[in-house]
Amino acid sequence: MQATDGAALGPFRLTLRRIRRDRWTLAAVGLLAFIVFCSFAGGSIAGAFVGHSAQDQYPYAVDDNFKPAGPWTRVPDTSYVNANDYGETIPPPKGTKKTLLVLGADGTLGRDELLRLLDGGRTSLEIGIFGAFVALLVGVPLGIVSGYFGGFTDTVVSRLTESIMAFPLILFLVFASVRLADTLTPIGWGSTIPDGVFLVGLLIGLFTWFYPARLVRAEMLTLRNAEYVSAARSLGASEWRIVRRHLFPHVLPALIVWSAIAVAANILLEVGLSFVGVGVQAQTPTWGSMLSQVWGTIFAPGRYNSSTYSTWQTILPTLAILLTVFALNQLSEGIRSALEPWSSR
Amino acid sequence: MTRLLTFFLRRLAAAVFTLILMITLTFVLFWAIPSDPANFVYPAAQHLTDYQLAHANHLLGTDRPLLEQYASYLWHLLHFDFGTQWAGSQVTGEQQLVRLPIGPQLASAVPQTLSIIIGGALLVVLLAVPLGAISGRRIGSVSDRTISLVALVGICTHPMVVGLTLNTALGQQLRWFPPGGYCPLIPTSGAYCSGPVDWASHLLLPWITFALLFLALYTRMIRASVAETMHADYIRTARAKGVGETRLMTRHVLPNAGLRILTMVGMEIGTAIGVCIFIESAYGFQGLGRLSVTALFGTVGLDLPLILAVVFVITLIVVIGNLLVDTLYAVIDPRAGQMLRERESKSLAGVI
Repeated sequence: MQATDGAALGPFRLTLRRIRRDRWTLAAVGLLAFIVFCSFAGGSIAGAFVGHSAQDQYPYAVDDNFKPAGPWTRVPDTSYVNANDYGETIPPPKGTKKTLLVLGADGTLGRDELLRLLDGGRTSLEIGIFGAFVALLVGVPLGIVSGYFGGFTDTVVSRLTESIMAFPLILFLVFASVRLADTLTPIGWGSTIPDGVFLVGLLIGLFTWFYPARLVRAEMLTLRNAEYVSAARSLGASEWRIVRRHLFPHVLPALIVWSAIAVAANILLEVGLSFVGVGVQAQTPTWGSMLSQVWGTIFAPGRYNSSTYSTWQTILPTLAILLTVFALNQLSEGIRSALEPWSSR
Repeated sequence: MTRLLTFFLRRLAAAVFTLILMITLTFVLFWAIPSDPANFVYPAAQHLTDYQLAHANHLLGTDRPLLEQYASYLWHLLHFDFGTQWAGSQVTGEQQLVRLPIGPQLASAVPQTLSIIIGGALLVVLLAVPLGAISGRRIGSVSDRTISLVALVGICTHPMVVGLTLNTALGQQLRWFPPGGYCPLIPTSGAYCSGPVDWASHLLLPWITFALLFLALYTRMIRASVAETMHADYIRTARAKGVGETRLMTRHVLPNAGLRILTMVGMEIGTAIGVCIFIESAYGFQGLGRLSVTALFGTVGLDLPLILAVVFVITLIVVIGNLLVDTLYAVIDPRAGQMLRERESKSLAGVI
């Protein structure tokens, strides 16, 4: 199967060409690349420019009601509060340098919102991608076994997934993360990934593998009796080879489309988990925890108060989530329509 | 008619099987996780003596053989007796244990959640049908792009944020709506508020919050269905014989989306209950969602009877909902009895 003459384009090149003609999808790819770059490298670059880190606290970046400063504010570069003899806050000593908070402060602690947004993007993307990866790792083999070979595995997998899929996913996640938090939270391979990211990603993956499994299973069911499969078998191909060379390439596009949506969905799921108060450790920013910092958890919902919170605290993380989900959604749509130009989306 | 009956009975058997499976799974899971129910009886104690442990287990009935506990639980469940929860137990006297019954809690929680879900689902369909129709008629047009974008914004703003914003702004500051809380639908004398009008006014904002989240999914689906149908031969025929555009949409195009909506509604019931956790919290409801999270969080330990009751009721709602959808499906489309329902894709909203 080595096509070397340039006469006919292979399915991969053909798909790529269709994507290249679709400007919305191209824009989405560009946006996604920008978001990924900003999330993984942007934090340290921006940190070097403004000269502080995402964990630095600036008490002078909040007012008397602990309302954080708005975008583009210069605040005194000190973590100590200057107080007079009566305990009242007074301006910092003369000569204190000022530092720039590009998007303002993040909350009562007065940390840099921009840096936390960038770092939070990294955490959220890590959870999203890792969750989708775990789901594929578990779901695809099980889907192949249950769809292609059928039998007992198929019965167990199908019945079990049907029952579990009917139950609210978030309850499983809450239960599992409360039970497993102590065991799995510290896993982070040194400081490569923040505390709790591994746990949340793993759990999301372990409770969402049904979707890729069912995708693969459905495809295998329709394809396993196809003529070219019988042909391959009559030529003496092993079952493993048939699955790998003849069936799996058919499932791959659907899995790619699913993965893009899954990463988006996992990011949103992480927001939900933050609102329940489980998941990533408090000092690590995620887009979800930045929101729940303002709006509280479900046990203690925050009553929004414009004198203690700034609107930016809600708008910025929401906008970041929106852009990411929009890009991923458009990407999956684009891939889908490039793979199946005959279908009307 | 017999065919429909067999179909219904088959589905019913599957539903009962699912219910028993979920209960058994919860039980097994609970046996596998080490926990000390005795802590519920002496929540203040740092360390329990052997006597206290044995005594507490005896009072709670957890010293009996596991299978006996399981059988007795199922037996009580058959009589709709959910038993008493472990949390909040109080020892009074030597052999007395005052325990809180679960039944009344569920009886007040379930209507709240069901009100949000049913009303919200109706609102979703009401909004999604016209929006999907507008989008689907001209894929890629400005109105199509706008509707998709707005729907996506609905998914990306978490119901907790939307709910709290609406509740604070419209409910508590502008006072256009009641400031949260739930009112029973059935008028009761002496209650702070009750009756259909109070009920609906307290639920309007939760419904909107619910609808915003699920709108994208349904709009998208109706859009796809409409776009697909617009090219069908019978639409050209209908146009050729002079059917107007409105009638064309309502009588020839949109009915095709009906079955898909029905399938989707059936699939998303569980998800809807999950979303209700946030909506209930934002509007100060004491519904099933919050009850279930409270049951799972347990600071003292896992409250097995409460968890079992919550799992049972949620599964029951999902199962009954699916049974209704399946039956409706079979009535509307007679081929459905043999057909496998498409269940493969769950939505983006489906996982929140």
